[in-house]
Amino acid sequence: MGHYRPSAMRQQKAQTVPQEPNLIPIMNLFLTIIPMLMMMVVISQIALLALNFSQGEGGVSYGQGGGGGGAQTEKVEIHILGNQYAQENNTTIGMEIREAGFKPMTIPALNGYYDYVTLNKTLQEIRSRKETLSDITVLVHPDVLYGDLMKTIDLCKVNGFTQVHYTAAKVEYY
Amino acid sequence: MQILDKLTSSNKSERRVRKKFEEVKGLSITSLLDELTIILVFLVKNISTEVVKISAEPKITYPHTITNDKLLEKAGTTPIKIFPDRVVVGAEALEYGSPAELVTDAKKRQDLFTYLKMEADDIIQHQKAETCLLVQADYSIPCDYITEIVRIATAARYSYIYFATLEDADWLKKYSAGLAE
Repeated sequence: MGHYRPSAMRQQKAQTVPQEPNLIPIMNLFLTIIPMLMMMVVISQIALLALNFSQGEGGVSYGQGGGGGGAQTEKVEIHILGNQYAQENNTTIGMEIREAGFKPMTIPALNGYYDYVTLNKTLQEIRSRKETLSDITVLVHPDVLYGDLMKTIDLCKVNGFTQVHYTAAKVEYY
Repeated sequence: MQILDKLTSSNKSERRVRKKFEEVKGLSITSLLDELTIILVFLVKNISTEVVKISAEPKITYPHTITNDKLLEKAGTTPIKIFPDRVVVGAEALEYGSPAELVTDAKKRQDLFTYLKMEADDIIQHQKAETCLLVQADYSIPCDYITEIVRIATAARYSYIYFATLEDADWLKKYSAGLAE
C-alpha cells in the first residue's frame, strides 16, 4: 500500500461517495426498548392518599382520636356510621360531625349512599370558622366500605384538613 | 440507475428530456428515528422502579379522589394489595390468604406483623429511608380489614401509610348527579 501526503489522502477521501450512517442497529435497539418501556408504563395513573403516623402516638386508636399524628387542640370528628350501627341503634346509615362546642350534626345517607355533597358543604363551613385548623379525625365503623372511607378522607384534604387521624369505632376480636 | 433519453427532432427544435426510470433512493428513516428518540426519552423519564411497584391492578376497583399526595422521594415502599378474595403482600407478591383472615386468624396477623417488621427494619437499616406502606384495596373491602392492616403496619414501624386511588377531580359532581337521578 502506497503512502500519500496528508493533502493527497484528504483528496482521495473526498472523492469517495458520501456514506449514510448505518441506522439499522440503533433502530433495532429502539424497537426493542420502546415496547418494553411501554409495557411497564402505567396508563391509569394511580393517585395516593397519605396518612402520616410518624408524629403522633402511632397506630389506630379505637373509639377516640388517634392514628395520623399531631396534636388536637380543636377536635373535629367525622363518624362514618355503618349498617351494623344503624341496625343496633334503629337508625339509618350516614355520617355524624362532632365538633367541640357544637351539637353533633347528622348527615343521613340518601337512598343508601353517603351524602358527600352535604359533607363537603359542612367541611367548608367548619373551614370558614376555623381557618388554621388542620387536624380532623375520621372514625370509621367496621362494616363501612374502604371506598367510602377514602372519599371522606379526600374531602377532608380538599377542604384543607391535611392531618387526617384514622380511628376505628370498636374492635370485635382480641 | 439513471438512463436519460435525449432525442432531437429533425427540425432542430429541442425535445423534452425525461427520465425513463425513477432513481431508486434509500428510505429515509431520520424523522422516524427522531420520533423514536422523543418517545424513548419520555418513557425513560416516566418509568421508575417505584411505578413498577405501584402499578394499577386491573382486578381492583380503586376509589376516586380529588387529592393526590406525592410519595416521599426517599421512601422504602412495601405494597400490600387487598383483592375482594385474597391479599397479596410485598414486592414479591406473596400470597397471604383471604382478607377475612386478617380479623379471624391471630396466627396470620402475627405472620403479617413479622413480615412487615422485617421489611421495615430492612428499609430503615439498609436503605436509610422512610418506611411507607402502600395499601391498594378494592372499593368494596370493609374498613375492618384496613384498620387491622394499618394497626399492624404502624406496630411494625411504618411511618407513612399510602392508600392507592384513582385521581378524578370531578368525582363529587358525578356522585351528586348520580344521587339526583
